[in-house]
Amino acid sequence: MTEDHERIDELLAGYVLLSLSGEEAAEADRILVDHVPSCATCRATLSELQAVSGDLALAAPPVDPPETLLPRLHHAMDEVPLAGRTPRRGALIAVAASAVALVAMGGLSLVLGNRLSNAETRTGTALEILSAMRSPGATPVTVTPQDQTPPDSGMVEVSTADRLYIAAEFCPEPTPGHAYQLWLGSDDEWTAVGEMFWPDNGVLLLEVTGVDVSQFDGVWITQETVGSPPAEPSTDGPSWFGTLR
Amino acid sequence: MDEDDRHDLELHRLVSARERSAFDELYRRYGRSAYGVALRVTSQDLIAQEVVQDAFLALWRAPEAFDPARGAFRSFFLSLVHHRAVDAVRREERLRRRTERAANLEPATGEDPAEDVVEDAYLRVRRKEVRAALTTLPPAQQQVLEMAYFEGKTQVRIAEELGIPIGTVKTRTLAAMRKLRDALREE
Repeated sequence: MTEDHERIDELLAGYVLLSLSGEEAAEADRILVDHVPSCATCRATLSELQAVSGDLALAAPPVDPPETLLPRLHHAMDEVPLAGRTPRRGALIAVAASAVALVAMGGLSLVLGNRLSNAETRTGTALEILSAMRSPGATPVTVTPQDQTPPDSGMVEVSTADRLYIAAEFCPEPTPGHAYQLWLGSDDEWTAVGEMFWPDNGVLLLEVTGVDVSQFDGVWITQETVGSPPAEPSTDGPSWFGTLR
Repeated sequence: MDEDDRHDLELHRLVSARERSAFDELYRRYGRSAYGVALRVTSQDLIAQEVVQDAFLALWRAPEAFDPARGAFRSFFLSLVHHRAVDAVRREERLRRRTERAANLEPATGEDPAEDVVEDAYLRVRRKEVRAALTTLPPAQQQVLEMAYFEGKTQVRIAEELGIPIGTVKTRTLAAMRKLRDALREE
């Protein structure tokens, strides 16, 4: 099949600017997987457009970050779990109240962890999850560790009409260069949802909003290579699977 | 690849070896630019701080995400910051309507309000080149680029807000990116 390179260039420009949505975002994903890797012209175009996108940041005025930011970063770096570290154990509720990783989405556009340091928001989301678990419309199910995934790394998933919560503990740290990816699926067609994420001391706290949960029949969390948007769930490494209906 | 790009590569190599001093040096080099674009996109200092913190933490956690064969570290890292900032602003939009952009933020192509901000000479030079390149774009192309890049809007939304066909948004976007690419292409 001959690809229309002008059309592809338009998609790539939108892709690097993060301005695609819906079917076009899906088309760009397809092209990035099926065409770009084998097309030297498109690889060069993508690389050039990405360079422009990076440099566009320089159009914004530089601003000195607060002096407190670097010390906060150092503190957070000290808290980054090392690969292979044994997650702490604790009761789910206690963990949820101090959980760290937060994912929130609108549609299928994920926003990851930008409130990572906002303890108030984390606690608020944890309380939302606990509240949702108790609500009449909630449907708690178990998201089951697959294959060699540590059996005590269970997750609980709670879906309501328009949102989905996933809480996990004892979640192993991904191997170096990897992170976890959330997928929603229907009839074995899987859609990667948002950016990748890491657990914090074995804890994950995910909030998925603005999604018609009834359109999907499964949730899957897999380990994927950082920096390489996955086309389909990887079956290597830890993964958890749950049925939504 | 120029000397500054090579220096970035060396710093990145040291960060991969868990050298904190190299991490601090990258923060010194790119912290201001990162915070500047995060603030510009999110219009909220607390969120901008979180964006920058997350981006640097991601670099520390998974430095191998940067592949030197795919371009300069500068582009990689500032894209990472921009990506997270857009994610942040889109999420915030769901929570509440954004207030008017903070009064102290200048247009993308405007004069730098923080000329006293100290930054490496090569970044200052590159910044001027980028701004000069932006001024060569027709206003209509600048507008769609501004809305997409600094306001985090999708092409569909841009078309709706401007009352123009989405095909026009795509055409203008690609034309703008191509012109910038040609203007900024390094020798």
